[in-house]
Amino acid sequence: MKVTRREFLKISGAAVATLPVLGFDLTPAMANAGEFRIKNIDPVPTICPYCGCGCGLVVYTADGKVINTEGDPDNPINQGSTCAKGASVFQLHDNPRRMRKPLYRAPYSDHWEEKEWDWVFKEIAKRVKKTRDETFITTEKVKSKDEAGAEKEIEIPVNRTDAIATLGGAALDNEECYLYSKLGRSLGLVYIEHCARL
Amino acid sequence: MANKGYLVDTSKCIGCRGCVVACKQWNQLPAEKTRFQGTYQTVPDLTGNTLTMISFHEYEENGKMEWYFTKRQCMHCLEPACMKVCPQKAISVNENGAVVRDYDKCIGCQYCAAACPFNVPRYNKETDKETKCSLCTERTAEGELPACVKACITGALQYGDRDELLGVAKKRVGELRAEYPKANVYGEKEAGGTNILYVLADEPEKYGFESDPKVSTAIYAWQDIIKPYFPWLIALTGAVSVFSFFSTRLLGVGKEEAHEGESIDG
Repeated sequence: MKVTRREFLKISGAAVATLPVLGFDLTPAMANAGEFRIKNIDPVPTICPYCGCGCGLVVYTADGKVINTEGDPDNPINQGSTCAKGASVFQLHDNPRRMRKPLYRAPYSDHWEEKEWDWVFKEIAKRVKKTRDETFITTEKVKSKDEAGAEKEIEIPVNRTDAIATLGGAALDNEECYLYSKLGRSLGLVYIEHCARL
Repeated sequence: MANKGYLVDTSKCIGCRGCVVACKQWNQLPAEKTRFQGTYQTVPDLTGNTLTMISFHEYEENGKMEWYFTKRQCMHCLEPACMKVCPQKAISVNENGAVVRDYDKCIGCQYCAAACPFNVPRYNKETDKETKCSLCTERTAEGELPACVKACITGALQYGDRDELLGVAKKRVGELRAEYPKANVYGEKEAGGTNILYVLADEPEKYGFESDPKVSTAIYAWQDIIKPYFPWLIALTGAVSVFSFFSTRLLGVGKEEAHEGESIDG
């Protein structure tokens, strides 16, 4: 029997339409079982950025998007649990209020303006270099005691600048914080701070 | 299959609200703006986008401060009143005893909210559905813990067989009785029993629970007696009108004529 394309569509359409009548109802199989959206996705372990406890988290991604974050059951610190902040890590990445561009407030200005990353990086590098060059000190005189107990002044190497401070944020992860403190120390900064320092 | 649920041991809860945020995260529900209420309780009430919450209760007794935390969400009753009243049959009990809803069928009539003895279901305006906790059915079906139970830091939430948890709860109450003489298990028999069990250190009222929540008898009267026989009422009405037609037209002929005469004269 020769079946044309049109006839084939007609027949298959009719077959599908009769299925529920004959009792092949597919709805009960789907009922009640919501979609388990992290099925067959390998979680990526990471560390909660918020406080110094360093709880383990797992992140599930699909198509380049974060779809779920949970506590890491294999992590000995939290063993899968999360506090309210740790549980909210999802919205750190996927948030309509998240800044997409750096904001810049010029000295004495009363408003923020959006800038391009290129401009911002160049400007930061330029200003850090200028301030550091102007204020960098290599040695400092400190009071000390000699073996006999008499006070005297000695000169010691310090290689630092007191004119720059950095403040990290809880949205930085463990590895970013490491790089950030390394950068600070290599520049000779003393004031390296972070809100999640316990 | 055995009923599954979780135990909320309020004596172990520290009120961190990790479960609340974990629930929001898993169900992908948006945050809501709240106002300071004078307590540490940040979530004022369950809403269409907040399926679970921690309520804080402060009491001062004999100069000693007592601070009770408890988790609120759907209790997953063994005999759910919401399922009984739902006109769309959108609510059902699954093989683990969890009360789940089919949001495709829900029409947002809020009848379930009126019937619930624990005042749990909430209306979501954006989706026009009545929402509540589903006991993370999609997670438990894959062997995962419910999102709130997994997040719990202190072990105040334990997921498992209801019968086993009941034993754990009773043992814990026995331990607590030394310090809290009014310690009790909540959910064993309340409103016909619930799959979510609580260990409370004090009277249920102090945690914002009713000590004896009951499903309104009007619901049973309507759903079990009146509604099934409603078609018979229609038939009965029909029968009465047929009877009255014959009785007035055929048996009361004389009166009928007198009435007609009056109307013509008037």
